[in-house]
Amino acid sequence: MLEIKNLHARVEGREILRGIDLSVGAGEVHAIMGPNGSGKSTLASVIAGKPEYEVTEGSITLGDADLLELTPEERAAEGLFLAFQYPIEIPGVSNTYFLRAALNSVRKHRGEPEVSMTEFMKHIRSKAAAMDMDQAMLSRAVNEGFSGGEKKRNEIFQMAVLEPKIAVLDETDSGLDIDALKIVADGVNALRSPERGFVVITHYQRLLNYIVPDFVHVLVDGRIVRSGGKELALQLEDQGYGFLEEELAGQARS
Amino acid sequence: MTTDLQSRPRGIGSDYEKVRKLLGSYGPERLEELRDEAIRAFAAVGIPTTKDEEFKYLPLRVLEEGQFASAYGATVSRHEAESGAIGKIEAATIAFVNGQAAPELSHPYVLPGGVFLGTLEDGFGVIADVLDEHLGKIATLAGKLGTTNDDRFVQLNTAYLSEGAVLFVPKGVVVETPIHIQYLNRADHGPCAIYPRTLIVLEADAQAKVVESHVGLDGIVFSNAVTEIWLGHSAKLEHCKVQIEGEHSVHIAKVGAHQEVGSTLTSNNVNFGGKIVRNDIDVFLGGEHTETWLNGANVGSGEQVVDNHTRIDHAMPNCHSFEVYKTVLADKAQGVFNGKIFVYKDAQKTDAKQTNQALLLSPTAAINTKPQLEIFADDVKCTHGASIGQLREDALFYLRSRGIPYAEARSLLVYAFVAEVLDKITVPDLRDSLERMLFEKLRSVSELPPAEETGA
Repeated sequence: MLEIKNLHARVEGREILRGIDLSVGAGEVHAIMGPNGSGKSTLASVIAGKPEYEVTEGSITLGDADLLELTPEERAAEGLFLAFQYPIEIPGVSNTYFLRAALNSVRKHRGEPEVSMTEFMKHIRSKAAAMDMDQAMLSRAVNEGFSGGEKKRNEIFQMAVLEPKIAVLDETDSGLDIDALKIVADGVNALRSPERGFVVITHYQRLLNYIVPDFVHVLVDGRIVRSGGKELALQLEDQGYGFLEEELAGQARS
Repeated sequence: MTTDLQSRPRGIGSDYEKVRKLLGSYGPERLEELRDEAIRAFAAVGIPTTKDEEFKYLPLRVLEEGQFASAYGATVSRHEAESGAIGKIEAATIAFVNGQAAPELSHPYVLPGGVFLGTLEDGFGVIADVLDEHLGKIATLAGKLGTTNDDRFVQLNTAYLSEGAVLFVPKGVVVETPIHIQYLNRADHGPCAIYPRTLIVLEADAQAKVVESHVGLDGIVFSNAVTEIWLGHSAKLEHCKVQIEGEHSVHIAKVGAHQEVGSTLTSNNVNFGGKIVRNDIDVFLGGEHTETWLNGANVGSGEQVVDNHTRIDHAMPNCHSFEVYKTVLADKAQGVFNGKIFVYKDAQKTDAKQTNQALLLSPTAAINTKPQLEIFADDVKCTHGASIGQLREDALFYLRSRGIPYAEARSLLVYAFVAEVLDKITVPDLRDSLERMLFEKLRSVSELPPAEETGA
């Protein structure tokens, strides 16, 4: 479903991604792990189309769509969702208005009719209830004054409302205590389905205890250096990223 | 030229002699002296030009040439009053049409004992001592710091003082119901000059929320409003001044407030209407440990000129003031922000924070911004920041990443920029209708997704 081939990208003239290949099928959960500065968040930003990143080589496709040819909003309409590492506060715009504008934009792009207000409210109320979210949060301004945990929960809630084909979670676990982590993970697990793929970016293995991946990839220095099953994450937890970096250094010497 | 027989006056203030007798029928005799004195003071300086420092960016020739007749009567139905720009606000309401009391539009509520909400005229019968003590004493800058102090529009308003509104809340009384002082203007027989006057007095520990609205229904109006506010020891007032005059009208208003020890004033100043708009929001801190919040939300389009001058006199130590003024300008609209903060010699431990931000939506829109801090104490914290700006890129990307197209996302952030200030209003009916109005106004100049009843 999501195909990334030989992706090279840079920001401010510095090359961060140096040839990424990744294929995420429907129903699969892929974890991307790696040390700080390895390019994990850059990968998420490039997939979503953040303007300051420049792709110099390679391709990203979602189904038939060439994502690199599309604006961020068109990518969303194609079914891509990015859960931000640092969700943005937008004082003055309520969650409800924001989500309805988003949902209707996506529907319009797909040639579907706008949802009525009644339908929409029913839709988001049920999603909020499933996320154990306070209904009062719906009328509050987007992320304004939310705690770290509330912001992350709001990201997953938005994902539930927009029902994407592919969701990229950028360090959704960062800054969460264990209770908040569980809530967020439950939210993600509830959205797992045979039609939907996930890319879960994380520095720590901890999150993967709750969102169990089908595949684990290790990103070092802008490249995926190792791919495996969920046991790879456990090995990294035990041994740290050091052993991989040493192996790589060894390969480079030989 | 046939000037003598012309029924309409040449310049603002020039028909004073003609209406003097009529004005004399309002209020006690001693007001006549006050009016005479005021017109003399105004006539001595006249209508300002852009050479006058305080009116540098305000084109007021129209006041010379606009042939504004002094207020004449007009009729407004309750339906019009409640379905107009602001809509119906659940509040104890006192209404005026072209400056004249309109009891048929008023909405009496049972207010707590001792509270007076009525016309100045009635006030002189019930709380004459309060009026004598404060009316005309608060708005003036006489004797205060500053080299360019300019009271001429306060004088002009005082010269034409006739009917007006008074709210008096006695010691310790908390008025839960919002108070709405509604000035509705309808110039259906040619340009009309209106001089709304409001006095709000909260005694010690009293609390109230007041909406003062100026709404144009028809025609060209010159509305010269003066509001005086007195806050006693630990009193608390939220004052929302909402200006939605007609698109060819001139609105020049002054809000003068005096704060005693421990009092809190929140001033929300909202301007969506009018062609030429000027507000002076001046607060004198006459006691320690006061809190002052000045919030401004302004949107101009077409050829509107929106000029806000604010002034805070930190005359006593340990007072805090926070000011946020935001302005969005489209088309050829012009904005002005001048924020004066005087910290007097003894006002140690003053904490004053001033922010003003503008968004210009077209290359022909412009704003002149001038923070003006004059500090005579040495142990104070005063900050000011001005930005003329760009929308936040991170927020723009966030909205787009959720599927909202670029143009809509931009408009939504423009809306949010102003709505953030409106969110501070704690009278829900008012806040909702202002947000709706903001939305409609911005929709006419940019692309916004439909709102319906989402309460954006």
